Amino acid sequence: MSVTRIHSKPKSWLWGTLTSIRLTVFVLLILAAVAVIGTVVPQNQPPSQYLAHFGDAWGELLWRGGLTNVYFSPWFLGPIIVLALNIMACIVHGLPEAVRRATRRFTIEAALALPERGQVTWPADVDPHPLVSATLRRELGRCRRETLQDREVFLLERGRWRPLGPYLIHVALLLILAGGLIGKFWGVDGQLALDQGEVAGAFQLGSRMEQPLHFQVRLDNFQVSYYERGGIPKEFRSDLTFLKDGREVSRATCRVNEPVSFGGLTFYQASYGSQAAGPIRLTVELEGRRQTIAALLRQPVELPGGRGKLIAVRVDGNFQGYGPAALLAYSAGTGHPMVFWVLQGHPELGEQPGPYRFTVESIPLRYYSVFQVKHDPGVWWVYTGFLMFLPGLYLAFFRPTERWVLVLAKTPQGQWQARLLGASPRQREEFAARQERLLMELKGGTPS
Amino acid sequence: MISQLFGAVMLAYLLVAILFLTAELWSSPRLQNAGRIVLWLGLGVQSAGLIGRWLENYWLALGHSPPLGWTEKLRLIILHAPLANFYESLIFFAWCLPTLGLLAFRRYLKGYLGALIAVLSTLLLAYASFGVDSRIKPLMPALKSNWLLIHVVTAFLGYAAFALAFGSAILYLVQEKRPRSSLPPLPVLDNLVYRTTVLGFLMLTLGIITGAVWAETAWGRYWSWDPKETWSLITWLIYAAMLHARLLKGWHGHRIAWLAVLGFMAVLFTYFGVSFLLTGLHSYLT
Repeated sequence: MSVTRIHSKPKSWLWGTLTSIRLTVFVLLILAAVAVIGTVVPQNQPPSQYLAHFGDAWGELLWRGGLTNVYFSPWFLGPIIVLALNIMACIVHGLPEAVRRATRRFTIEAALALPERGQVTWPADVDPHPLVSATLRRELGRCRRETLQDREVFLLERGRWRPLGPYLIHVALLLILAGGLIGKFWGVDGQLALDQGEVAGAFQLGSRMEQPLHFQVRLDNFQVSYYERGGIPKEFRSDLTFLKDGREVSRATCRVNEPVSFGGLTFYQASYGSQAAGPIRLTVELEGRRQTIAALLRQPVELPGGRGKLIAVRVDGNFQGYGPAALLAYSAGTGHPMVFWVLQGHPELGEQPGPYRFTVESIPLRYYSVFQVKHDPGVWWVYTGFLMFLPGLYLAFFRPTERWVLVLAKTPQGQWQARLLGASPRQREEFAARQERLLMELKGGTPS
Repeated sequence: MISQLFGAVMLAYLLVAILFLTAELWSSPRLQNAGRIVLWLGLGVQSAGLIGRWLENYWLALGHSPPLGWTEKLRLIILHAPLANFYESLIFFAWCLPTLGLLAFRRYLKGYLGALIAVLSTLLLAYASFGVDSRIKPLMPALKSNWLLIHVVTAFLGYAAFALAFGSAILYLVQEKRPRSSLPPLPVLDNLVYRTTVLGFLMLTLGIITGAVWAETAWGRYWSWDPKETWSLITWLIYAAMLHARLLKGWHGHRIAWLAVLGFMAVLFTYFGVSFLLTGLHSYLT
């Protein structure tokens, strides 16, 4: 892709700039630098976070300058657009020539114009044909053979498609970028939180919008299983039923890494949580006397003995890996409430204020499951780009062009003479090694 | 027991580095050979250790599963390759370096270049042995995917290839300042930098692609601008710029060598920096 620049015409200047590799390298490094900013400055936080973290002046600058959502700001999208234009210009500029080179037949004229690499002669009474065929087949593979009136020519061309490699790569990149754009504009990406047994006919888009579904979905059962109690989770499993007009249409199990698709949308197991399904049963101990009470979430309960009130604030199905626990708030008289966790399986953990001792008897838990709900028509563009990228890389980097020609003829003195011609502009070392082997085998007749 | 084995491998690689260095200083082909032999031995033991760890992972998982048919067992084997946490990734990285080095450098894997690679492997293993939790833990749900194996293998082969490019580049810069006849000549080093970079670029591209496809099946997003993703993209951009500069602008020699050094800094940050300094989807590594 060599570039000639003519500065007198603005159009040519623009074209020259757009097809220049200097621009490519520059834009790639700019993109890398902007991407670094995006990993150093936390992204998509509320403005107050930046003010608190970076100070008023810097926080304001980051927020107003678009650096808090940098991958969707002009700082990043601008260079991306320039890169896309650069790639397109280079494709337009160089693809016709590359196609011409890749589809051009390896003619005798082109073959005989290659640089000569060596000569071998045999006496007139020795027929070198078997040796030449065998050697060429062993070292190079199957060659094309053309017979002219006074000589025979063996031709081999490898990596003819190599010039197309870079173009495959760059078209693939454009497809990936196009896929991203399509997903951004025509894709749907939302969340759906479902309680066990709940039926939903819509899901959340962003923080406010609700998007109706043209079907209903029900969470029949959600389950977290653990390898061992209080340990690493083994599986998050949601059993879903899809309904249309109240009729069951299909059932499916959604796990992490195993999404479920229905009606053009895909459901991914994203997260889960638990909430209390009924009153929490607690044992209260005061001066040796025990009593059981039931506390509804966020409802104050007068404690036996009249020395304070209790509110169950929150429950957790697996508090820090220690199993079910309740967050309780105890207040004596008009004082500030004191908040503490009580663990069902580990009553010994944690400090409790006041004269009472609380232990959890049971927490009726109801799990809910959160799904990522998505439709992205751009994914197949991106995947097509991925698939195209790999043969492109192979052709561009691992398939060197290589041309070999052997001309076999009789000299005026009656001897047999073979002339070896060839070229491989990008793999000189390997080429030279093979050339040496070929010549040696043709001369000595013994493979190394 | 297997983690002690890796400790022994660490000592072996340290010995390799010492042998290669002394061989270079006294220009002794015999010590070079000894270094090569110890390197092969260490690599063999490390490979055995990796397989052992793989089996251990698999047996542990088998204990947590109901009786399985052979296809399910095969899947369990694929899932439990020793590539699921920070410790295992360090060990695998330390394995990739000499393996790729032998493949890419062949006879040049000796002397200073060989010592540099051996020292890098030693450091990785030392860090794994002394600084990281080596216990085997069952696989968390996010990692239960057939993509785990191919994603991690390609990513780390890429890292290792870039480490080799870095090693060659350092040697190039040294050789340029103070030429030594025992070091590979400059054009050879320049070529080694280029070839290992191409290999790394292919592997990093594969790693990013497999990661994207995996993320699409796991989270419904092939790209989420997670710090690990972003930094691998930054690394990819740097090497892409370097390949363009070399192939189309004819850059050679120390400018390419400096870009290889810069690229490897990005690799190191992608691997270590992101895990420790930034949080994101890949934070289960620590």
